[in-house]
Amino acid sequence: MKSDQGSQRIWRRRPPSVSVEQLARRDLERVLGPDAVVADPLGRALYGRDASMLEGACALVAFPRNRDQVEACLEVAAAYDLPVVPRGSGTGLAGGATPIGDALVVVTTKMDRVIEIRVADRLAWVEPGVLNLDLNQRLAPLGLTFAPDPSSQQTSSIGGNVATNAGGPHCLAYGITSNHVLAVELVLPSGEVVVLGSEAPEAPGLDLRGLVVGSEGTLGVVTAVCVRLTPLPPAVRTLLAGFGSVADAAATVTAVIGDGITPAAMELMDSRAIAVIEPFAQAGYPTDAAAVLLVEVDGLPGGVAAEAARIEELARANHADSVQSARDEAQRARLWKGRKSALGAVAVIAPHYYLHDTVVPRSRLAEVLALVDEIVARHDLVAVNMFHAGDGNLHPLLVFDRGIPGTLERVLAASDEIVRVCLDAGGSLSGEHGIGLEKRDLMPLAFAAEDLAAQDCTRAAFDPERRMNPQKVLPAGARCGDFALARVGELQQAVARLPEGSWI
Amino acid sequence: MDLIAPASRAELAAALRAASAAGRRLLPVGGRTHLAKGNPARVDAALTVTALDRLVEHTPAEMIAVVEAGMRCAALDGLLAEHGQEWPVDAPEGATVGGVVAAAASSPRRLRVGPVRDSVLEVELVTGDGREVRGGARTVKNVSGYDLPRLVTGSLGTLGVIAQVALKLRPRPRARRSLLAPGGLEAAAALLAAVPGPTAVLATRDRVELRLEGWPEDVAGQTELARGAVGGVEILDDAPFPSLVPWDGWPVVVEAAVPPSRLPHLVEAAGDAWAALVGVGVCWAGLPAGGTALAELRQRADELGGVAPVVRGDGGLGGTLPAPAVHRRLKQAFDPAGILAPGRFWGEL
Repeated sequence: MKSDQGSQRIWRRRPPSVSVEQLARRDLERVLGPDAVVADPLGRALYGRDASMLEGACALVAFPRNRDQVEACLEVAAAYDLPVVPRGSGTGLAGGATPIGDALVVVTTKMDRVIEIRVADRLAWVEPGVLNLDLNQRLAPLGLTFAPDPSSQQTSSIGGNVATNAGGPHCLAYGITSNHVLAVELVLPSGEVVVLGSEAPEAPGLDLRGLVVGSEGTLGVVTAVCVRLTPLPPAVRTLLAGFGSVADAAATVTAVIGDGITPAAMELMDSRAIAVIEPFAQAGYPTDAAAVLLVEVDGLPGGVAAEAARIEELARANHADSVQSARDEAQRARLWKGRKSALGAVAVIAPHYYLHDTVVPRSRLAEVLALVDEIVARHDLVAVNMFHAGDGNLHPLLVFDRGIPGTLERVLAASDEIVRVCLDAGGSLSGEHGIGLEKRDLMPLAFAAEDLAAQDCTRAAFDPERRMNPQKVLPAGARCGDFALARVGELQQAVARLPEGSWI
Repeated sequence: MDLIAPASRAELAAALRAASAAGRRLLPVGGRTHLAKGNPARVDAALTVTALDRLVEHTPAEMIAVVEAGMRCAALDGLLAEHGQEWPVDAPEGATVGGVVAAAASSPRRLRVGPVRDSVLEVELVTGDGREVRGGARTVKNVSGYDLPRLVTGSLGTLGVIAQVALKLRPRPRARRSLLAPGGLEAAAALLAAVPGPTAVLATRDRVELRLEGWPEDVAGQTELARGAVGGVEILDDAPFPSLVPWDGWPVVVEAAVPPSRLPHLVEAAGDAWAALVGVGVCWAGLPAGGTALAELRQRADELGGVAPVVRGDGGLGGTLPAPAVHRRLKQAFDPAGILAPGRFWGEL
């Protein structure tokens, strides 16, 4: 399928007065069909952004239905030297799928088959466009789950989960997406198809699978994912503890982890979060609390009972005013509905929000939260806190109205300070959203030049032509040895082409 | 063979810069417990970082330890035990932290504790040409660029010398117990189906060992379920795992890996001295030196979608390297002079 036919179907000579985009579009339509290629201004504008605050622009949008069509997309892109931006559902918050320049956006949502579920091997092969929740609904009757459960799981795709190494509340005990991806089928920018990782517990070679997970579409296009399936736990207990201060709730988190208990999930929500969630979800959260902790323990019945009792003890020792335990599945679902609907519910405060994602050491939660509060207050902003406390994964949510002049500038200034205090506390830039465009230029705060150069070499090993999702993840200065000399001029030009206001 | 033993990170970097400049080929070693894993390397000297053996940071409430690579696993385990924690790798006596990471030598308890690669959060590496590179972060979650800790885990010392790692820890189990019973793979499958949450289910030709760890009341409950599933159960409390080691004493030991449901087909080609982690897909097999046994087992593993590297004795790794061009470019980037254990890696990279 690949190279021979590919070179026949691609026009390499351009007649005068026909644009590269028109030629690429014609080639793509020939292979994918006219309804699978979008080139009109409205369609291109729709795919010019993802769920972040950043806006970009693209030349063409393609909707391949299978691996061969993805190969064709990459061959066309190579033939006309178009950058390629892979995209799933577009729920990413860091701008990883926001196209820059005259890119070809390759949307994998039409590749949405669950290829096979093999219970005996506790694995499933799925196409990248399968939605996280759809897969989990297929698995539940089998007593199995794909453990990563990002808040976006109703709409985010497995391909996108792989791209961002997605997390979610239950990653605390079950681990991030990378722990649950056994193998990926990847179309390299050259058009070559490789399978990285294995259905077996070990695979030959370097862990290239591990590099692809979290690579934000910069190493190739994933066309199939082999996910690890986890048995649903035999016993689950869900607790909700109310506190008179955020600091007490945070101290409880530190105490629980330090006690040798790893709950399945441990989520903290502050009073502003409770105030928007409760009217919306009627989750039963105490509306007079300054903070609540939603804690879930699962596993075998004995340990679950013992750990739930110990967590209640630790919460009370840290001045919890109330601790309730879900009596049944319905109440458990209600408690979780509160947490999972929180992001939507904040729209009642202000029309826009900027959701942060940083990680801090779990023993320093209270201290960092106080600093974040201080920053937000100093910039005259409002922050809502609801986050994966057990992992130290902060998500301060700045809510604002960008229609009010000067607001956005204050949001961005505060955001920058928030990231810095988290890094100063020994944290990391992102826990689950990724770097994308949003945090690209903050990477030097977390890494030395040599570290970033090594990352750039890693990227170039997959994509020597630098076609995949250019200008994402690594800042312009991070160049791998000799590659720098040939490409630095082009990169400067590309940066100069960044659309006005693309940081908004 | 000469042994270079730098006493500091700076000396390590200088040694690698000098070796790259001179084209002097080095085999990085730790406790020398996993050196058989790998193809024969063509080297002029060995390099060890056993002098870099400090526990750099351990805040028990973080469940993370930052450790220099030369620290012995046993020493680390002793320090962590004081806080009721563990880095669950169950490495052999003398193994170093860096060596276990470089060899990706996972615990036989991996059904529960996961593979070693899931526990390496941050790595500090000195590349073949002496550049100091850090990847990952000292937090349990982190998505900031490419996952260099996973790239380095299992790289067999061919990309750089690991100087330091941050490790994700687990609580030490409160109770641990092994159940031994007659029966092979079928009994093991019955146990895996009947007993929720085991730490390991190990099958040999005619025995099975079920490992249980956790809260004492759960271990008691699991024991009852196991007794309902198979007969002749014998209890061993607080014993090391595994107690069944049929491969021990054989000149060649293979650590094969196949999709878990295919273990019965694999062991048909594994002789008699094998033990398999049911539900995981790992199988150790003791083989005679020479002859065709290794080639036959490798061919079977390959047919089943797996691999069968040797971990003791001669025989190397076998297997086919995927994406060889990507591998070559990574090797070139991290070890441009090609001095780190040339030939040792998969594909004789």
